[in-house]
Amino acid sequence: MAAESPAADSRSAPAAIARLRNRLEGPNTIGNSRWFWVGFALVLAVLVAIPIVGSGTGGQFSLFLVLGLLGLSLSFVWGYAGILSFGQTVFFGVGAYTFGVVSINFPSPTGITGAVVAGTVAGAGLAALLGYFMFYGGVRDVYVTIITLVSTLVALTFMAQTAGSEWTIGEAALGGFNGMPGMPLFTLGIEGLFSFQFVYNEYEVFIPLLGTRVFDPFYYLVLVLLVAAYLGLRVLVNMDFGRVLVAIREDEDRTMMFGYDVERAKLVAFTIGGGLAGLSGVLYAARNVYIDPSVFELYFATLPVVWVSVGGRKSLLGAVAATIAVEYLRLSLGGEFALVAVGALLLLSILFLPGGVVPWVDGKIARSRLVASDGDSPGGPAEVSDS
Amino acid sequence: MNDRLSRRRFVTAGGAAMVAGLAGCSQSEGGDAGDGSSDGASTDTTSSADTVKIGVLEDQSGNFALVGDPKYKASMLAIEEINADGGIDGKQIEPVTADPQSDNQRYQELTREYINEEEVDVLWAGYSSATREAIRPIINRNEQLYFYTTQYEGGVCDSTTFAVGPTARQQLGTVLPYLREEFGPEIYTIAADYNFGQLSADWVKVLADENDAEVLGEEFIPLSESSFGSTISRIQDADPDFVMSMLVGANHTAFYEQKASSGLDVPIGTSTAMAQGYEHRRIDPPAMANIYAGVNYMEEVPTESNTGDGGFVDRYFEMYPDAPYLNEEAETNYFSTYMYKEAVEQAGTLEQPEVIEALESGISLGTERAPEAPAGETIELDPATHHVDHHMWVMKADEEHNIESVKNEKIPEQFLSNTVGCDLTQQDEQTQYTPVDYFEEAE
Amino acid sequence: MATGLKHAAFQVRYGIAAVVAVAGLFVLGAFVSPNLTFRISYAVSFVVLAAIGLAIIFGIMGVINLAHGEFILVGAYVTTFAVTAGGFPLPVAMLAGALVTAVFGLVVERVIISGYVPNWIGQRTVGRDLIKPFYDRLADSMVATFGLSLIMVQGARILFGNSIDQIGVPFGSTAGYPDYRIALVGITAGVLALVYVLFTQTVFGTRVRATMQDEQTARALGIDTERTYMYTFAIGSGLAGFTGALFAPLLSMQPSIGDQFLVEAFVAVVVGGASVVVGTSLSGLLLGPIDAVLSDQFGEFAGRIALLGTAMLALRFLPGGITGFIDRVRTMREGGS
Repeated sequence: MAAESPAADSRSAPAAIARLRNRLEGPNTIGNSRWFWVGFALVLAVLVAIPIVGSGTGGQFSLFLVLGLLGLSLSFVWGYAGILSFGQTVFFGVGAYTFGVVSINFPSPTGITGAVVAGTVAGAGLAALLGYFMFYGGVRDVYVTIITLVSTLVALTFMAQTAGSEWTIGEAALGGFNGMPGMPLFTLGIEGLFSFQFVYNEYEVFIPLLGTRVFDPFYYLVLVLLVAAYLGLRVLVNMDFGRVLVAIREDEDRTMMFGYDVERAKLVAFTIGGGLAGLSGVLYAARNVYIDPSVFELYFATLPVVWVSVGGRKSLLGAVAATIAVEYLRLSLGGEFALVAVGALLLLSILFLPGGVVPWVDGKIARSRLVASDGDSPGGPAEVSDS
Repeated sequence: MNDRLSRRRFVTAGGAAMVAGLAGCSQSEGGDAGDGSSDGASTDTTSSADTVKIGVLEDQSGNFALVGDPKYKASMLAIEEINADGGIDGKQIEPVTADPQSDNQRYQELTREYINEEEVDVLWAGYSSATREAIRPIINRNEQLYFYTTQYEGGVCDSTTFAVGPTARQQLGTVLPYLREEFGPEIYTIAADYNFGQLSADWVKVLADENDAEVLGEEFIPLSESSFGSTISRIQDADPDFVMSMLVGANHTAFYEQKASSGLDVPIGTSTAMAQGYEHRRIDPPAMANIYAGVNYMEEVPTESNTGDGGFVDRYFEMYPDAPYLNEEAETNYFSTYMYKEAVEQAGTLEQPEVIEALESGISLGTERAPEAPAGETIELDPATHHVDHHMWVMKADEEHNIESVKNEKIPEQFLSNTVGCDLTQQDEQTQYTPVDYFEEAE
Repeated sequence: MATGLKHAAFQVRYGIAAVVAVAGLFVLGAFVSPNLTFRISYAVSFVVLAAIGLAIIFGIMGVINLAHGEFILVGAYVTTFAVTAGGFPLPVAMLAGALVTAVFGLVVERVIISGYVPNWIGQRTVGRDLIKPFYDRLADSMVATFGLSLIMVQGARILFGNSIDQIGVPFGSTAGYPDYRIALVGITAGVLALVYVLFTQTVFGTRVRATMQDEQTARALGIDTERTYMYTFAIGSGLAGFTGALFAPLLSMQPSIGDQFLVEAFVAVVVGGASVVVGTSLSGLLLGPIDAVLSDQFGEFAGRIALLGTAMLALRFLPGGITGFIDRVRTMREGGS
């Protein structure tokens, strides 16, 4: 990023940055210039400042960041691997419930940290299973989508009836429709060594000129994780693996004929997506100290599709930005028209901007730049931005 | 990279930043977000000493809109009456409301907002038990005074929560013994397949044991199911003396129509039908004939303060002439608002711990403010359990869907007080207890 | 040609055999265990009626209409209003429901699916097309129609409230089972027959099948494929509306009733495959009994899970659905002779 290398040798600093940027940039992602990264740093600064400068604690905003991870997961599997999955929320929910079960049974900081890992692994594992079932069985295109949709329904039907007391894993009652109560407060670390409570643990900090501000550590934890995931995925899609995924997305048969192991690539991508969704679920449960089967509902399963459609499925940045924007809109629009607005937003965006908002903006600016400058310089890769 | 092409990256990123930033900045304006009500006046001023801030979060759209809307309206009615009468301890009530749209996520966000930013003095929220459980962690964390007014499965022993609706044991405990006496000891249970239904079915078993009756069979139906062919045929095969039905939700309403058209006319006792979703008004007769609802209140309850001139029903429909029905939970919203008023006036302050103590001193309401009680009778808020000793009715629908009362009695809350021993005046707790841990019969 | 005739004869032979087999089973079952037979037949009818409109649109146009449940809602609501507010007799109201939904489908097709209207406006104003049609854009059509369904459900709630007054179930009951539901079984058979006749015996049907088989050639031969798609969508919508009309007396009239049909319809269409009549009826005959029998034995929850599970297995092991399976069988058999 625009950060400086800590090396005292100034000659290696620009080289280090160039190497880093090389990893992060490529034709598969939007934003490949210094200006982009400056803008990115600015956005980060804004996100860091929101809870401090605004009068809220950033409490509601942390929800959007958590969901941003979910949107990111779908953008990865849909926009890059071409798998339209309505099942990301299944992995989300499974991750959340696994976190709940493990953390209730082991409520120490070590246990909770382990629960985070368990939840993520559960999401990834289930995705691997489902992916294996589908991809290695030759299921393709829309049928994959339908299977993921059906799996959401299965999850909902199953979880909603776990109300009886026989549905208890160790100390944790699944709770059925009422949800899983009694989760410990999210505290990471190792028992005895160090630990830190992130949820319901606001600090008051005095900032000159602004007065006393409440600072929510959970918000910053999620922000760090979201940025890390975003950057990590950027690196991944700009690697060879990412190029293979895009090739599969564009024409699966041709890629297979070139000798690539298409099934394995899709399985790996789907598993990564499942793990990300699982992590998002873990954070969701941690934030609310609660999880219930409503995350398996059809409406919630389609929300990631809404976010990614609006933001631009082939753009990781678009997915995150749209998740935050659409969720904010959805949750602040009270009254009856909120659902109408979401539906209209989805419909209009897929009609007029099937590629999504961010790639469209990107493309518009590209075209205006090209028009303004007579003849482009032959250097630099062309942006692969479809609208 | 090519600098000529680079500025668009900046603008792209900047555009995204702008969106995010605007979202963040305006998000912190807090109070006005999410207010869908047309009646309540919500502002974002902090609670001044001159007003009482009452938060009301009831579903006015979404899955539970049918049953949640009357709750909202009844709360508003009570607030208006109290304000017109001089307010609470001389202070006017300022309602803070929004429509959570039957969405638990929204409930959580709004609850957080109401507690932290609006700083409401008291909160009424939620129709379904899932909603209650979704927001209870936030309530507990902030020790917020909270009234939950829907009839529910029972067992919530929570230091700042007052679950003042009738419990399954109270509802079933009035209708099951009546039907057992009238029709015989063999029972068939059908219930919605989720916590409330499962726990209610457990209570049916406990009550059957207490009343010398027998449960021939139980059936749990997913909330999304609307086809009852096989259920009806199993009931016909089992040939019980009566059926106990705890079906819930829009899809389950189809059961009554389908049973009628199958020629099944076994009497049915219920804690959920008619009183909440007014099926007897929405479905053609005689689908609801021979259905006996065990409830603390429904619009047809024949007390003077309810159906008499200028009574509760009249006042409600005067304020809301277009409302379709005045349902069970609405009355609970209504009387609990008055209970709060009494507690505040007794405590002399709005501070929540003191008000809770006042609520634990034994508040009772007469028929005027609790129309479920006949003239001269009262209902009490039990100090130890935070539940209400309700006046229960068995209301029967006939062939033309006319409703008449066949039995009424006062039933105190028994499970938490007698069986569990929950005493919130002595010890703080935040638990929900279930019958299966205490009764063998509920296994 | 010889193979063509053999092909046709093969179809007719198997078609008649299938119909006779099903009818025979039904009659037999009605004598042996009437209640169970009626329930299974009803389950089959439910699946078939739920799916038929969606199958036509999916099979012929390659569009997945996630607002299918809401089209059923339109039919149900129109029928209900026609009876309660208009006082029309039930059959007339049902026809009205189907017709209004067909017209509504026409509008949706023109405005959203084919983009004809927005593109017409676009050509007149900015000189270019604004929208790409949704044919064969399966994923995109799912997303777009889902948006439409959100608008429709919430719109219905805003316009008509959380529930509307219901119409009663006509007729009485036989052997403890409602006659109306038995009648539905017959109506379902009639609908299937009608669709079959429409698509195989009429000129319009031939045009549709030509377009489905090879759009370019069909257009080159002078078929107005745009029009064909428009009418097909309208017919599919009309059938969905008819389904809603038929079920209006049986269900609680709320804006969310579409959800009850969507799952079954979806699953049936995908399991059935591309052929409208054969695929839908066979998948109905497969899924209906599974749901009915398992619900009977183990409760409604088991029935639901079994249905969904069967769908997943079918999607995995029968690519192209049942139609694809039959095609493969047929090719294998004909390859041998």
